[in-house]
Amino acid sequence: MKYFLLLFLCFSFALIAQNENEEESKKKDYGNLYGGFETNSQLYLEDSGLNFEQPDEPFRSNNYLYLNYNYKNWTAGVQIESYEPNALLNYNPQFKGTDLGIYYLDYKDSKFQATLGHFYEQFGSGILLRAWEDRALGINSAIRGGRIKYSPNSNINLTGLYGKQRSGFGVTNGDIYGFDADIFLGDWLNLYEKNKDLSIGLSYVGRYEPLAFENPNFDELTNAFSFRFDFISNSFYLSGEASYKDEDGVVDSLGNLSNEFVEPGNAFQLNFGYSSLNYGIDITLRRVENMRVLSEREPKTYPNSFGDLNSSLDFLDGILNFVPALTKQHHSQLSNINVYQSLNGVSFVDPELMSAGETGGQIDFFYTFPKDSTIGGKYGTNISINLASWYNLPGNYTFNPPNYDVNFLGIGNKFFQDYSIEVTKKITEDWRIGASYIDQFMDYRFIDGRDPVNADIIVADATYNFTETQSVRLELEKMWSTANRKDWIGGTLEYNLNENYSFYVWDIYNYGSDKPEERVHYLNLGGSYRKGRYRIAVNYGRQRGGLVCVGGVCRFVPESSGFTLSLNTSF
Amino acid sequence: MKYILLPIIFIFQTTFSQETIPNISIKNLKNKSVNVSEDFAEKDKIYVFSFWATWCVPCIRELEAIKEDYTKWSKELNMELIAISTDDSRTQKRVRPMVNGKNWPYKILLDENQELKRALSIVNIPYTVVVKNQKIRHVVNGYSQGAENELYEALKAL
Repeated sequence: MKYFLLLFLCFSFALIAQNENEEESKKKDYGNLYGGFETNSQLYLEDSGLNFEQPDEPFRSNNYLYLNYNYKNWTAGVQIESYEPNALLNYNPQFKGTDLGIYYLDYKDSKFQATLGHFYEQFGSGILLRAWEDRALGINSAIRGGRIKYSPNSNINLTGLYGKQRSGFGVTNGDIYGFDADIFLGDWLNLYEKNKDLSIGLSYVGRYEPLAFENPNFDELTNAFSFRFDFISNSFYLSGEASYKDEDGVVDSLGNLSNEFVEPGNAFQLNFGYSSLNYGIDITLRRVENMRVLSEREPKTYPNSFGDLNSSLDFLDGILNFVPALTKQHHSQLSNINVYQSLNGVSFVDPELMSAGETGGQIDFFYTFPKDSTIGGKYGTNISINLASWYNLPGNYTFNPPNYDVNFLGIGNKFFQDYSIEVTKKITEDWRIGASYIDQFMDYRFIDGRDPVNADIIVADATYNFTETQSVRLELEKMWSTANRKDWIGGTLEYNLNENYSFYVWDIYNYGSDKPEERVHYLNLGGSYRKGRYRIAVNYGRQRGGLVCVGGVCRFVPESSGFTLSLNTSF
Repeated sequence: MKYILLPIIFIFQTTFSQETIPNISIKNLKNKSVNVSEDFAEKDKIYVFSFWATWCVPCIRELEAIKEDYTKWSKELNMELIAISTDDSRTQKRVRPMVNGKNWPYKILLDENQELKRALSIVNIPYTVVVKNQKIRHVVNGYSQGAENELYEALKAL
């Protein structure tokens, strides 16, 4: 298939070149070639302070070249990925060598679109299906197959797809079937003139994978359905999504598929809020039960860069849906130590720690104290508050044989809590300050077996502008924590020389750890240069082990130390 | 392989470049589909597409900084800023209250599964694409304090 596409690409270029010769004098559309390039390379260095040994191949590099050619309604593209001589440490080891990662051919007109090859897609919020890419996390869950989108008018969008999900440079075992409809009712119900809007959506996802059991207790085809709606009335809005997944064998903590522990899954989400000039409030409630959708039932096991065995799920490989943790994404270093990942699947680790999903919610509140008010001052003051709490599903759990019977309403053990308040303010033309306070609780017993943690974090930052483009920013933070590595302190100093160059140094120090070998500094320094479409960044320092989060998703990475170079551009 | 790739890229870079904004439809905050190519095509008007996310601190700083001068910008130039949120479903619900809470004057679009971001080969945000007459005229990869002035100068030169 991929060779076919490459041939097609060459053929297109040849054809265009030929046309060029024939009609040199005529001004015509030769199409458009565009894409981008990204490289992230790291030289790993021995670091006895972190107990980090230099790997056999200390230089590692991830490179992506994305090339697309568009001519009228047709677009063809490839993404060449090169992990040479090896992928960065802690990346999915399935990314190896240089190969075509993505290739596709696409036709699109005003009503109809057809894609062959790899494509990305999301149905609704992604609770049944999300195929996406995040290079920083090493995720590429594109589907390889075919997809058709059809919009008979501006009020209806239909999508149908079939394919297999990408994993490394190959695909997983399951056949994926998907259908999605988005229907906008505003026009038909004359809602727009009343400043209202209503839309609904329906999704179906099927995964077919042959079963090895002699007498399977569930079907080889797993069906999942979801219904959603979205309603807006002036400044008020309300949306919801309900999903159901057929009975399917549960995967145990060792990654084995059970033929006896067979359960269906479901998820309900409700979001509403009111937002108007200067303020906004938003509330989301969600209950998820056994809602992990995998493109292949049994996760694979393979050795990572250190030779330890890892499950493909550790690299978020083979996951077809997207159930993000609904909590605030903090930006300071220490506030990203206790990071929650949605516990949306069934997990029976020991008789004390059994869960079948999660339930909870979050509230967001944003407000700007207007200019020239007492609190607003000369330039106004921004305040944001976020309250998020997530719990186990309440009910009866039995460990052996594994079984559960959970209640629809109510809450079980608390998994995670994060309450935060953040204030930012411009004081004078040259000074800008901000401060935040975060109160966290995380029950690590359900995640990696460690003790539950209560943590308080304070962060303060100030920016001073020397000139229009030259500025310095200082951020100080402190975390008090009751368990694990206990107390931390940190600081960041950032200097922007002008609009092109910027430099930083930051350090976090685990001074409060009970273990002397953990009382270490994670010092990093670096800088970046950007001009037009280019951005180059270098960093030297230590990587703290733990969850690294980008956008909405986190992945566990081990400690390391070294020198990093990143470059990206588009053309 | 990578040694072959680099020179190829530079050849591409000098020979070709993405001239037009991709023909992609994404939703606005009213849940309506908006085509970023066809719906921003007023003759000689400058459209500034600014990619951001609720969790991206430099993005918010940039949009806050532009907000202070936005009345002046839109008075002196025939321009409009469209803030494209790349938040996925984890944080997308925070877009609406945040935009109103911060009182931003911009048109907001939601690139929930990053289709537009990917089509423009955007690796990191903030990232700004300036379009005039459906042609990409200027790109800014990143933001540092004060860079909004550089952007303003670039817009004036168009």
